[in-house]
Amino acid sequence: MATPVTSVDKSVADKSGPASDARPPRAPRPPKPNFRQIHQFPLPVNVHHVPPVIPHNPLSLISVALSYLTFLISPPRQEVYSAYFDKATSSIHVTDERSIKALWQMGFFGKGSLSRSEPSWLAREKKRRGLHDGKTSEEITRLRRTERRELKLERARMEKLAIEETLKAEAAARKSGPSEPIEQDAQSTTTDDTTNATATTTEKFSLKKAREARALEARQARELAAKNADAALAEQNQAGTSSNGKSVRFSPVVQKKEFVSTSPSSLQLPDSVVDSLDSDDFPNEEHLQLSNEEAFFLAYSLGALQIYDAPLKSGEVISTSPITTSALLQQFCHHSFQPARDSAASLQPDDPFMISYTVYHHFRSLGWVIRSGVKFGTDYLLYNRGPVFSHAEFAVAVIPSYTHPYWSETEERRNYTAEKQARSWWWMHCVSRVQAQVLKSLVVCYVDVPPPAASVDDIGALFSQYKVREFLIKRWIPNRTRD
Amino acid sequence: MADVDEEAIQVPANAAAQPEVDLSDETQDFRFLNHLNFFSDSSPSIPRRGEKDFEPNPTELQADVLSASRGAMHNALSYPRLHGPKTRVIAFYAPDGFVPPAQIARPTPKAGEDEKSSESTPKPARPLPNSARISPDACVYVPNPKGQLFKSMGQADSSSRVWLLPEEALYLIERGSLDIRWPSPAGSTAGPGEEDLSIPMSLQAAYACFMGRGGLTLERYSVYTGLKRLGYALIRAPGWCDDIEHLEADASDASEITSPKLHGPGLAGMLSSLFKWIHDPHSTASTATGPIIGTGIHRHYMDVYRKLAIIPWYDPATASERHPSDTTAPFRVVFHVYKPSTPFKKSAPPPPDFRVAVVSTRDQTTMPTMTQLGALLESTPLDPPRGEKMDRMMYMRLRHGYRNVVMAVVDQGVISYLRIADSAFGKEKLYENKGGPQGPKRGRNQKTRKR
Repeated sequence: MATPVTSVDKSVADKSGPASDARPPRAPRPPKPNFRQIHQFPLPVNVHHVPPVIPHNPLSLISVALSYLTFLISPPRQEVYSAYFDKATSSIHVTDERSIKALWQMGFFGKGSLSRSEPSWLAREKKRRGLHDGKTSEEITRLRRTERRELKLERARMEKLAIEETLKAEAAARKSGPSEPIEQDAQSTTTDDTTNATATTTEKFSLKKAREARALEARQARELAAKNADAALAEQNQAGTSSNGKSVRFSPVVQKKEFVSTSPSSLQLPDSVVDSLDSDDFPNEEHLQLSNEEAFFLAYSLGALQIYDAPLKSGEVISTSPITTSALLQQFCHHSFQPARDSAASLQPDDPFMISYTVYHHFRSLGWVIRSGVKFGTDYLLYNRGPVFSHAEFAVAVIPSYTHPYWSETEERRNYTAEKQARSWWWMHCVSRVQAQVLKSLVVCYVDVPPPAASVDDIGALFSQYKVREFLIKRWIPNRTRD
Repeated sequence: MADVDEEAIQVPANAAAQPEVDLSDETQDFRFLNHLNFFSDSSPSIPRRGEKDFEPNPTELQADVLSASRGAMHNALSYPRLHGPKTRVIAFYAPDGFVPPAQIARPTPKAGEDEKSSESTPKPARPLPNSARISPDACVYVPNPKGQLFKSMGQADSSSRVWLLPEEALYLIERGSLDIRWPSPAGSTAGPGEEDLSIPMSLQAAYACFMGRGGLTLERYSVYTGLKRLGYALIRAPGWCDDIEHLEADASDASEITSPKLHGPGLAGMLSSLFKWIHDPHSTASTATGPIIGTGIHRHYMDVYRKLAIIPWYDPATASERHPSDTTAPFRVVFHVYKPSTPFKKSAPPPPDFRVAVVSTRDQTTMPTMTQLGALLESTPLDPPRGEKMDRMMYMRLRHGYRNVVMAVVDQGVISYLRIADSAFGKEKLYENKGGPQGPKRGRNQKTRKR
């Protein structure tokens, strides 16, 4: 009975070449927004170019002088955005919509509190209520995931189907005659035809075959329904699932589920409710969340952000003054511990915030767009120009380092620093494997911590005592470097 | 946002099309061994690997395949491994280490208990040119070397006996290419050329004799043998011995931040200095309380970024080279590794392709600190990114780094190799880049890449 199976495999194997090329036609993608235009400024800082001076063209001098003159008469104002510190989440909230937009578009700061990264809740919500067209990134991802999941389920179904076929064939063979010669036959074919088997599996997962199987399934189901044997089918399915150990859900159910979760219309509220809603009526529930490093960079380095203690009501006259940068540094350092340390505690040079900000500032000052790397188990991700343009190429893991003689003076300090620097090999392997899987290069960034400073008044002097050193760590696979 | 990585999901789940799959990680289907023909040398082609099921299922087909695979493996393992008369290489164990053949009048002392002979073999008065290269750890000699393997192993002395290091001897005996004999009992009168054949050494005895000899640990041996089997040539690096004398290398930090280049005072520069007083961001810039960049008018983002550069960074290009002895014990280059394609001459080894340090996770439970890692890298020569491709692609430059070393992390026999490179992000000012290609386009049609 094994012979027919192999012959089927062979015919399938012949087709495998073109079948793998035949991808399902994909829906045309909606046109991308002009990211180059939207994100043309790398930082939320206004820059005014001076017209170039062309030596042999005296008129250019005039234009330069004119541009200087306009600056002199009406100096352009640097936009300063405002935000507030939320103690509960230990993060900075920006609620003003214009500021949110500006901070995201110029330098990709922060993340929407209800979104994956870009604050897009309002757009999604509008679309959900049928007021808005177009797709947000979250929806694209969800669609893609649905598609992929269906493909996987289809594949699992195909595998299960193949197993059932084999089982049936084996049972039939057992019934039809003495099993001994047939089994031997099966053994000989399986032992020798490894190449065929390989070809089969490459084909096994193709979408085309999955579709055929689905059609077959549907036909079988119809036939069975005609025979009024629904119960038997259910029983069989159940038996198959339990004996197999693989939880396979049949696609009609899955499709229905996905339909519910993705389709905008299915989630629409009843008509009466929709009518009563005005399109401009509902408020934006989302705010921009800045990490402490981002906020400190904006406030201290760029001077583009003012941070208050409590949320400001819109339209309210600013009565309290923003937190000063040195107070901000204190606050962030205290909140870099969990739970936050007492505000009376003095600053330590190896407070987590000091170290993480050093790295943040270092890469920002080199022009990278640096964002949290928590989704890949690292501290930071480095983007060239921004996440909408390209994938992050580097993932940064930060480790403190204590090379200054101060840290090895006493036994207590030595133990303390040894504990702080320790990273296990398993951690290393986990991180590097994950980065290889998502095609990022792992950068292990050591930050050399200075001894405690006498005063923390000069923030710039404080940070210039730290030193950053990057190591690129990659798995080396000797099999691939043999040449 | 999710635009680039969409193509990737359409890839059929075709395992053969994924070059990233590391086959060495998997349990294999050993049926492919059935296609190995041990007895005829007509078809030396390597058979294709079988295919793997991920879950048990109740089919007899799977059970059959499994038992066939098992049978194939047993079959392959049960093949008798013999020393053919043509290829047999006999070696002798010298427990005392290398003994120069200068005293040819006497039989070479091979037994440690032979007091007289060991006394009468002093260090050679004038070291022969060849024997200078023979390590004192060498303890096995081959009087009659033949075969490919000796191209990259062992060192010949003046009487063309090849002396093998413990790891080389162990590798060869484990491979079945060497027949090591115990030293003949004292009082045997055979000359050095025609030693009478004493008892052959068993593999167990070889492990007992060679492991731990001359700094050979099980971790170092597993790295050696693993790379050797893949075709690499390995030699011991100067950092092999743990007790190399500590030289006072000056570890002065030569690294400094390169100060940003100022523009030449062209006409535009003169003009801008003329107008500088109007709105000078410098005047309001303050690193003490911020903002660093000042609150005036900024002419260009380049200037903004230049002002932001306040964090010092390490410049690997200017760091001075260290002596291998200046490194901390496990983080030290112990092997120089040569690719199979590199022409290797054991009398004059070329600069190595890779430098490998071996770390046992049971002795060193944590990752190296910056000092240890820095010292390890600084003991290797500067290898800055070069070439036309590197000049073009910043990502490749960063990935290549200025120095590099391979660290073999051995965790109870499981070896993970990590390539560590000293890259300097500070030397690559991304903001000066005009958005050219940064690296090879990767990931297309290979794998879904996450942002």
